[in-house]
Amino acid sequence: MQIRITVAALAALLMASALSLVTSQHRARELFADLEAAQLLTRQSEAEGNRLRIELGRSSQPAAIEAAARQLGMRPIDPQHTALLPPAARPPQP
Amino acid sequence: MRPSSLSPRPRPATGEARARRRRSGADSAHGATNPLLAVRLPAWRSRMLLFALFCGFVALAGRAFYLQGGVSTKFLQRQGEARYARTLDVAATRGTITDRNGVVLASSVPARGIWAIPDDVDSGRRDLVQLAQLLDVPSGELRRRLSEDDRSFVYLKRQVEPDIAQRIESFNLAGIHTSREFRRLYPEGAITAQLLGFTDVEDRGQDGIELSFERTLGGRPGLRRLIKDRLGRAVEDDWVREPIEGRNIRLSIDNRIQYIAFAALRAAVEANQAEGGSIVVLDAGSGEILALTNWPSFDPARRDRMEPQRMRNRAVTDTFEPGSTIKPFSIASALEAGVVTPRTTIDTAPGWVRIGGRTITDTSSHGVLTVEQVLAKSSNVGTAKIALQLPAQTLWDTLTGVGFGQAPHAGLTGAVTGRLRPAGTWREIEQATIAYGYGVSVSLLQLAHAYLVFARDGDIVPVSVMRADAAPPAVPVLRPQTAQAVRRMLELAASDEGTAAAARVPGYQVAGKTGTARKLRDGRYSDAYIASFVGFAPATDARVVIAVMIDDPHGGRYYGGDVAAPVFSQVAAGTLRALQVAPQGPALALAATEVPAGGR
Repeated sequence: MQIRITVAALAALLMASALSLVTSQHRARELFADLEAAQLLTRQSEAEGNRLRIELGRSSQPAAIEAAARQLGMRPIDPQHTALLPPAARPPQP
Repeated sequence: MRPSSLSPRPRPATGEARARRRRSGADSAHGATNPLLAVRLPAWRSRMLLFALFCGFVALAGRAFYLQGGVSTKFLQRQGEARYARTLDVAATRGTITDRNGVVLASSVPARGIWAIPDDVDSGRRDLVQLAQLLDVPSGELRRRLSEDDRSFVYLKRQVEPDIAQRIESFNLAGIHTSREFRRLYPEGAITAQLLGFTDVEDRGQDGIELSFERTLGGRPGLRRLIKDRLGRAVEDDWVREPIEGRNIRLSIDNRIQYIAFAALRAAVEANQAEGGSIVVLDAGSGEILALTNWPSFDPARRDRMEPQRMRNRAVTDTFEPGSTIKPFSIASALEAGVVTPRTTIDTAPGWVRIGGRTITDTSSHGVLTVEQVLAKSSNVGTAKIALQLPAQTLWDTLTGVGFGQAPHAGLTGAVTGRLRPAGTWREIEQATIAYGYGVSVSLLQLAHAYLVFARDGDIVPVSVMRADAAPPAVPVLRPQTAQAVRRMLELAASDEGTAAAARVPGYQVAGKTGTARKLRDGRYSDAYIASFVGFAPATDARVVIAVMIDDPHGGRYYGGDVAAPVFSQVAAGTLRALQVAPQGPALALAATEVPAGGR
């Protein structure tokens, strides 16, 4: 009797362990799929960030700024149009 | 359980059974009486069969053990893996190159390669025309490539934008595939082209910074093993080799100064109808290269239009005879050796002198000049006379001390050593000509580097294209007094009295020296000139050293003071403003009169 109960208990334990193994395996695969998706997103975002940095570099290029400024009717600085204030002439801080 | 009821009784009947059968079935019309059944089979036959079956099972078990028990497991494992495991290359992204302020100069973005297995492509399909349009390839060319029989793989186009590749994938054409790759972008285009160099389609550095820092930028692709389930989804992974991402590098270049130099250079080369030109801007404090630009240049995005002579980083790879720009070093050498002082007078009349059977001439007769004036007027005769008072080795030591004859270790590809022969081989005439810049050749970068010795107080730091966190240790070459004396002469040269009045920058005191040297062509001096100017600003407490070289100007003027000095002035003005160096002296007075007028 004692042996039968032990065997039954062990069988139940084995079954439970097998089921939990299957469940955890399934869970691991789900998490893995999530991780893959997240990593893909990271890579895409990095690429996008890179692209935006390049875009920023392009639009902040001195050549681009100069061309845009000329369109607005601006011109390069020359000494005749430069006002230099000696440090003493600085307005008092409020 | 009664074993007898289930276990088959042996067919060969015993004597008792036969008697029973005879008794019960004597009147039976069939079966039991068949004499064939009564044949007694020998017992060894069944044993034989049993043994054969046993041997069969043993063989099976043996084979199973052989394949799975560790003797030869590779085959089945490989077969199994081929069904569920995939090994993927994981590309490492190439590092980004930025300027000293973090502005991106070169960066890699994902792209796709479009390739085909020609045998699998149905070349009659109308989609191919659309494909050709998307790839910007004539459809005839596309068909030709797909019909090359002897090839099982052909690239149709590489480095295609990802969204175009996606549209191609959406056609679902048989035999057309895409693969991941990277494309290198250079936002500054031609402005930084020769400095940065370029990469090949595999994103490996081929020239310039891309090549010299390949190990840092390149990274190493990884290998990743994926286990897929029956639906093809990745369920597990394992790194065979982790990818090493390329590291980013930060150059010493300032993209604003680079642009200022590039724009001024391009304008000057075009205005003077010159063959080309270069500008180098160095930080006088740290030896960092703030700008290094050449014209003509190329657009790294248009590979099909690249020409070798546009791709050369002339400032680093080309040497020329420096002419008068080397005179300050000869005079510094004489001052250092104590053979002259700035006030010593030299008679340069009648404007020429014969040395060893050769004649050295000036553009005009300057008469008696002080050493200071020899430099300001750029007298060849005066410089030769001063240099001939020196031992050749002393002059050689000074020239070598400031870096002539050695390739600068700036981290740039193709840096040349130039030519400076050992002093022991110099004849008298050579010592005289080397003193005013003939018989010695230098690159523009070397020349700019050498002027650090005057911009600083007689010591020199190595040039570098990488941003330095701390100033590198300086090596003394001249006494500070000598450097200061030559600096005053260079200020004089860049004033109204000197040859380089056009180099002046409003609001700043500048110092520098012009150079106009005949170009060597096929070993003979030709009618072509190289106009140069090397100087620094502000003259005292210099922030930048700027070297300008204009190759073969054809616009009617060819003197360094007319062609190169104005470029120096423009670049210096822009650079000092970009670096927020406060103007001194006269400009303030000028401003004071302007300020009340509405602040403009």
